[in-house]
Amino acid sequence: MSTGTITLTSSDEVDITLDRAVAERSVLIKNMLEDLGDSGEAIPIPNVNEAVLKKVIAWCEQHKNDPASANDDDDNRRKTTDIDEWDQKFMQVDQEMLFEIILAANYLDIKALLDVGCKTVANMIKGKSPEEIRKTFNIQNDFTPEEEDQIRRENEWAEDR
Amino acid sequence: MVQSLIHIPDEILSSILRDSPPQTCAALEQTHSRFRNVTNEPLLWRYYCESHYRFWDRQHDMSHKLKCPVSSVDWKTLFVSKYQVDCSVTRLLGSILASQTGRIEKFRSVIDLGYDAKDTLLRHSLVASGDDHLARRWATDSVIAVPEWAKLRRGEPVSLDRALGCFDLFIPESGYGDLNDIRGSLARILDRFVADNLDLHLTPRQKALAIASWLGSNGLTGIDPEREYHHLEHNFLGLALKNIEHNSLPLISAAIYCFVAQGVGLNAHPCGFPFHVHVIVTPAAGFDMDGRPLSNMDQAQPMYLDPFRGARETSVSDLRNQLSFLGMSNSDQSAALGESLTSSIVLRCGKNILNSVRIASQSPNLYSTSVDAVSARYAALWSVMLLSSDSRPMDLRHQLPWLMELFATDFPSDVFLIEQYIAPLFHGLFEHEHILESLHVMRAVDEIPKQIHTRTGTNANIRYTVGQVFRHRRYQYMAIITGWDSECGAGEQWMMRMGIDRLQAGRHQSFYHVLVEDRSVRYVAEENIEPIKPSLAELPRGLTAIAGKHFKRWDEMRKVFISNVKDEYPDD
Repeated sequence: MSTGTITLTSSDEVDITLDRAVAERSVLIKNMLEDLGDSGEAIPIPNVNEAVLKKVIAWCEQHKNDPASANDDDDNRRKTTDIDEWDQKFMQVDQEMLFEIILAANYLDIKALLDVGCKTVANMIKGKSPEEIRKTFNIQNDFTPEEEDQIRRENEWAEDR
Repeated sequence: MVQSLIHIPDEILSSILRDSPPQTCAALEQTHSRFRNVTNEPLLWRYYCESHYRFWDRQHDMSHKLKCPVSSVDWKTLFVSKYQVDCSVTRLLGSILASQTGRIEKFRSVIDLGYDAKDTLLRHSLVASGDDHLARRWATDSVIAVPEWAKLRRGEPVSLDRALGCFDLFIPESGYGDLNDIRGSLARILDRFVADNLDLHLTPRQKALAIASWLGSNGLTGIDPEREYHHLEHNFLGLALKNIEHNSLPLISAAIYCFVAQGVGLNAHPCGFPFHVHVIVTPAAGFDMDGRPLSNMDQAQPMYLDPFRGARETSVSDLRNQLSFLGMSNSDQSAALGESLTSSIVLRCGKNILNSVRIASQSPNLYSTSVDAVSARYAALWSVMLLSSDSRPMDLRHQLPWLMELFATDFPSDVFLIEQYIAPLFHGLFEHEHILESLHVMRAVDEIPKQIHTRTGTNANIRYTVGQVFRHRRYQYMAIITGWDSECGAGEQWMMRMGIDRLQAGRHQSFYHVLVEDRSVRYVAEENIEPIKPSLAELPRGLTAIAGKHFKRWDEMRKVFISNVKDEYPDD
């Protein structure tokens, strides 16, 4: 495992120093460090602001000793929609932060975090009606009444229980 | 910009949807046009199809569909149709559990949904606390197995792996829902053998021995010497392939051997040697087993092996000596040393199973088996009925009452199979009328609504309820209450014989219909009932195995069985 610390610069120009081992939970950063070598200079993360970046780093700290998942096989990963307790607490943030974390995890290529994010959103929409989903995520209905009616009929099967 | 679900890229949405139930996907589609594409991705719906349902009716030709480009199949429509079958089966099961009346016709509707119903049945049979007995019984695939054996009976070709695999279909524990699954397991063994033996240029004889040796050293044939030979599990091809130890009787080992041998071009078949099935390998026409051309004068000699014991050729003279020792004539010996018909191998397997079941019932403590002996016996009886040759009707007569009893008590959903496949076997015999009469009675009884026992009036004082477990104060057996009367409802004669009036409270006390751990049904006076609260683990196996006829499941909190005869005893 790599030792030492590195510095990241968030999109709002804040430098954050952290253990290289923690930063390497991000495959993007890991590859960058491997390709370019550690020059000691701060690495810019232009898509992620300080608040989100700190949150992501907190997650990486917590999970720095997780075994690297040998196979990110869909089958293995998706067996359960269970989220461990720490992660559940971690994800108790407002929606904007939640989606920022997901996008950051996607950008930084942190599969396990992205996965937790997706599962969190999945749990939020599970069992909800279209109207409830709109409410939860503040989605404006953009269908004409005819379109809406047609789509509803196409999906009537899902209400059959 | 405020991040919301709308702004999430498709690839991430797709991930979220995979973590969600398909109903959620359908709901999301209706919220905003932005989601229309991602919620209709064929790849996503193929994933739902594969992750939600394992068993697909042949009409869907799933293996072909899965090989096609994903967009060439309407996966969403396929999923929806399967989902609707799922809902119908769930509704039918619910209505069957809710009422004891009209079950046969409801069974029929489930059967008509065919193989697509299987996932639902399996799911309902695997509820956590104790099995849902009814659903579990239907999850057995007698509907698929029986017609397969009937083909054999008519002399139509059925491959050995299919014919033997049918036994597994009766056993929910084997988890095979499809004869193709068993074929698939065998094909993987063949592939492994071929991969391990790529460059071998062998004579047929060497090849035959190489296969036996490879199967033996990979533990795919034979039985671990530590294990009891007659263990019920050893009789099932599918189980033998699936279990890690791969223990199997000689017959099953021979079947596995023959599949691999035929796969590499050998003409290998089981040979019906008494007591111990061997394999006979015959050389290609015009050659001997060592690959040398034969002159016209010579006759090709086959070779014999016993894959169960290992990679040694068994000499013909040894085999003949054993047969002579048994006092067999020359012509009988030739028959015993020839290739066996698939139907005789299946029949033999059926008889082996009956034998294993018998041995297990004599020493129940010796055999803790995961295979349900009742299902196994039922499968075996079917095979014996269908495949015993017509020249021995006595065999059939002898077995018929056993099959009919088992069918009536445990597999009443098979009434259609009995009608179609068993009744005609006895055409012209008095049993024929007898079978039709019992089927008629079963259907009639099935249509009669049960008399309702509410706990009002004289019934208000009945102390115990349906589902309670008790120990008989006098005879000490454990049993479950399945019904009650406010006072003894049996005939005068019975009461005289049982000395009911000598009981402390006599005939004017509550009496209970009970299911006893030895599978018998009895009628017990309230004063002899000592209620107990055992844990699930303390219940005798015999009791949990049959409980499902009257009960949905065991309630570990309250230590009682939950009734599924609510139509008869609505207050219990």
